[in-house]
Amino acid sequence: MILTRLATAWALFQGLLIEALPFLLIGVLISAGARWFAPGGRWLRRLPSHPLLGPLTGAALGFALPACECGNVPVARRMLSGGAPLGAGLGFLFAAPVLNPIVIASTWAAFPDQPWLLLARPVGAVMVAVGLALLLGLVGEPALLQADLLAERRLHQPLAAVGLLERSSGLVGAPAPPALGAAADAAPPRPPLAELMKHASQEFLQLALLLVMGCVIAALVQSFVPRSWLLAVGGAPTLSILALMLLALVVSVCSSVDAFLALSFAAQVTPGALLAFLLLGPVIDLKLVSLLGLLFRPRGLVLTTAGAGLMVLLIGQWVNLWRQ
Amino acid sequence: MPPPLQRAALWRAASLGLWAVVLLVSSVDGRLDLLLRAVFHPLVALAGLLLLLVALVQLRLAFGAGRRERGDRRQARTLLLTAAIALLVLLLPPAPSFADLAGQRPRDETAESELSFVLPPAQRSLTDWVRLLRSQPDPRLFAGDPVRISGFVLPMPGEPPQLARLLVRCCLADASPVGLPVRWPAGEPPFPADQWLAIDGVMGLKQGPDGAERLEVIPSRIRPIPRPARPLEP
Repeated sequence: MILTRLATAWALFQGLLIEALPFLLIGVLISAGARWFAPGGRWLRRLPSHPLLGPLTGAALGFALPACECGNVPVARRMLSGGAPLGAGLGFLFAAPVLNPIVIASTWAAFPDQPWLLLARPVGAVMVAVGLALLLGLVGEPALLQADLLAERRLHQPLAAVGLLERSSGLVGAPAPPALGAAADAAPPRPPLAELMKHASQEFLQLALLLVMGCVIAALVQSFVPRSWLLAVGGAPTLSILALMLLALVVSVCSSVDAFLALSFAAQVTPGALLAFLLLGPVIDLKLVSLLGLLFRPRGLVLTTAGAGLMVLLIGQWVNLWRQ
Repeated sequence: MPPPLQRAALWRAASLGLWAVVLLVSSVDGRLDLLLRAVFHPLVALAGLLLLLVALVQLRLAFGAGRRERGDRRQARTLLLTAAIALLVLLLPPAPSFADLAGQRPRDETAESELSFVLPPAQRSLTDWVRLLRSQPDPRLFAGDPVRISGFVLPMPGEPPQLARLLVRCCLADASPVGLPVRWPAGEPPFPADQWLAIDGVMGLKQGPDGAERLEVIPSRIRPIPRPARPLEP
């Protein structure tokens, strides 16, 4: 019995992993391409740092990247390490998995008779992304981001953007000499192709390892916790939202296909719960936790999960009041 | 003098190459039919080819001239672990129990608005039948129709086993079962869970536990069959 269950978990693991690897590869290749075409990533630092405009711009960049959340992580890491404003990077990380043409098309294909969902999903995703960017912005970069990402990011940030206590060089209070400023602003040389490939390969393998860990956890939880437990409370407004949020955390399928999965139980749950499932999964799930660990310190991970959960719950409640 | 061998690049090439082999072998040995919906298969093969290309570039770097990389313990651990996992995935193909998986999942209850076309009864698959019965709930319309279906034996709590199929929208993680009740021949030993069967017979009416009439398959012939090459239905 336990062996059968483990064999099934092994198959689930392979299904999740093999489905996610191509998307991870796309993300890594896009991130490498960005390093090649825009070495130094000066455009990244020109993204708005306004607390509201930043996340909105980041979210809008999702339209340029047709990948789901696993492919998103390397690209968001590249943005942050290249010195993009924190809000813009986070806005991209959290909203782009929903705000991209493939996901919107698949949502429409799954729910052609529910036009409200087609609007509510992107709008809700942007609200959650902006909220999370504001929340995580309060924590401050040093407490939020992983040490090596932070160190890489500092290399690309103008000194003025770094807090006094975090600076390791430069004169306090003295403006940078103009000649030095101009040199820093000039485009750095394009990295050699060999260096680029080495970096991309290493990044892919590192992310693949994290993805493997996430898929193992997701497969084990799915095989040993009967899903009927989660769907048993389908009709109760608040409970159904909470249950489907939990399901989104556990099932860990990519945002480009989760609408089709939601279709299979759409008839059994409240509309708010349905939207909550479609909003939370792209931001955080068991498969993503280890990948996000590459960007955030544990505190950032906890805050992301709690903040996203609370916002999605509120949006779901509001939708239930509106649609029933 | 030949350039020194770049060990790190060689390991990277090996690890990436193994993952490329995992994706490519899965694409040709039928493993994907068991794991993923067909629309994703070309994507997996393409990713395998791309990875193979990257691995070959790394291999070329390993034997080429260049700055020698400093050894990095963490990097070495990542390389070793990823290679080991790829090997494990390659050597241990998936062997899921569909009945076990289906027992954990709620039934697929997609609300079918209207079917665009309906096949003649003897050509309907198990999934076609389930969808048809859902969109046209009057069971009397179908009593006596010929049935030729295949599926696996799914034990049901408190009632006789059904013949079932798994519907998959993305990968095995989102599989949800659909099934039809069968009037199993009396006095014969029951088929074990997960056994694939091909059943010829007719649709018959029976009283459900709530008193309403419902359809069940009355078999005239039951044949055990091996699991089909493409066991998942979209």
